[in-house]
Amino acid sequence: MLKVTDLEAGYGGSVVLHGVSLEVRDGEAVVILGPNGHGKTTLLRTISGLIRPSAGRIEFDGKVLSDMSPADIVATGVVHIPQGDLPFPELTVLENLLMGAYLPEAWKQRKEKLEQVYELFPVLRERSRQLARSLSGGERRMLALGRGLMSNAKLLMVDEPSLGLAPFLIEEVYRKLHDINKSGLSVLLADENADHIAGFADRVYLLEMGSIVGEGTAEDMLKNEALLAAYLG
Amino acid sequence: MEKLMQAIYGGIVYGSIFGMMALGLTLIWGALRMLNLAHGSLYLVGTYIAFTLVNILKVPMVPALLIAALGTAVVGFGIQTLLLNRILGKPGWDVGSLIVGVGVGMAIDQSILLIYGPRVKQMPPLIPGIFKIGRVVINYNYLVVVAVAVISLVLLSVFLSKSRHGLAIQAVSQQPDAAQLMGIPTRTVFLIVMCISAALAGLAGALLSTVYQVQRESGANAMVMALVVTIFGGLGSVKGTIWAAYIVGLLQSFLMVYLGAGTALPGVFLFMMLMLVIRPSGLFGLGEAQRL
Ligand SMILES: Nc1ncnc2c1ncn2[C@@H]1O[C@H](COP(=O)(O)OP(=O)(O)OP(=O)(O)O)[C@@H](O)[C@H]1O
Ligand SMILES: [Mg+2]
Repeated sequence: MLKVTDLEAGYGGSVVLHGVSLEVRDGEAVVILGPNGHGKTTLLRTISGLIRPSAGRIEFDGKVLSDMSPADIVATGVVHIPQGDLPFPELTVLENLLMGAYLPEAWKQRKEKLEQVYELFPVLRERSRQLARSLSGGERRMLALGRGLMSNAKLLMVDEPSLGLAPFLIEEVYRKLHDINKSGLSVLLADENADHIAGFADRVYLLEMGSIVGEGTAEDMLKNEALLAAYLG
Repeated sequence: MEKLMQAIYGGIVYGSIFGMMALGLTLIWGALRMLNLAHGSLYLVGTYIAFTLVNILKVPMVPALLIAALGTAVVGFGIQTLLLNRILGKPGWDVGSLIVGVGVGMAIDQSILLIYGPRVKQMPPLIPGIFKIGRVVINYNYLVVVAVAVISLVLLSVFLSKSRHGLAIQAVSQQPDAAQLMGIPTRTVFLIVMCISAALAGLAGALLSTVYQVQRESGANAMVMALVVTIFGGLGSVKGTIWAAYIVGLLQSFLMVYLGAGTALPGVFLFMMLMLVIRPSGLFGLGEAQRL
């Protein structure tokens, strides 16, 4: 469904991604592993249209995303949950969630979607009238995920869902993401370490200095611990 | 007692008007991070559209007000699509947007001078007549001005906090990246904000043309007060701006009534400076990160 070919992108003059190619198939959970600063966020932001690629091609369900606006890309079903959550701080939790359903199609079903999100993240129901800026780190992460799920996503791209959370919360977030994936949504996830691949990922890409240096099924990758260890230190 | 009532009454009148002007300024700051220096000129556009319609074309007052607001919104639409969109999102936006504001403001002010000449003009009140409560003179015209201002402030607040598009405006102001990731088309939102802001300035200009004389200087005066209120309330905060408008309005009115008209403006500025020392981000200021 998502096919990225020879993607090149960066900031101003400096190129960060040097010809990245990868693929996410229907229903898959794919993880991009890469150390700090090697281009994971840049890659996801380019796919979602926040950064214009300087070369290469991004396709989703037969549509070419590489020259669409971020708003049009969301409408195709590619939804990006950004690193650091980026909540709307002065809006309530409920209003944040509603903005996730901003596009007309999703807006029509916002009541049902809201129920589903509250079901998955009960804490958001309790906090629904609170301003987003008053949430704890864990709650903010749940809000970011819930807000993404309010859309009509077909592919959920999640940037470092473990960032800055206590270990038990990381476990919980990955469990939720696994459930979301099993309910039929494809997931493309970026992370810094291989701790949570087992039981979650179908396939893994290794990103180094803006290039894909390895690819394989999760089992193969985990068997090849030498490679992972050398690579992720 | 009469003095007190007089002061409160004046404060409400001023506050309502400041609120209309300042809210437009704060919305644009919030969404576009632009200090719109043409805001006072947009006020003048409203004034002179109303003047033309009422005094020259003999259009009744109510449609004239609506047309003034709409006409000014169209000017805002033009500024956004023809000028601002060209530099939006490019390096140098901070300075570039200021220059666009100054340039557009000068173009509007000078055009008005060319078309209407330098002479001060007079408009009829919306509703003539007065009544008295004790010895406080209440002007029907002022009451209408306050009512229209309050109704538009309330409608706008409800729009911003309840509707899908209003929330989207807030979302874009608070976290533009995330807003784009929700599918919110930021450029369309900027255009809507510019039109609303211009319409408010135009409506304020049209309304006040029935209270003050019609002259070019009133645009700059309105702009200065709007700026004071916006800074006082915390740039970008809608709630703060509305509160600040009435606080500044009351302050100005109390100074005028108790200490004389000459003390009003210096007093307001002094108060603003004190306030900024105590609370640098304004009354309801959003954190530094939000404002820059
Ligand atoms: N806004 C920016 N402007 C210029 N360079 C940037 C910007 N954002 C990131 N970079 C640079 O691009 C490179 C890749 O950064 P990116 O954020 O994509 O990495 P990452 O893999 O997501 O890292 P992390 O694990 O820290 O999130 C880094 O060298 C970084 O310094
Ligand atoms: Mg990153």
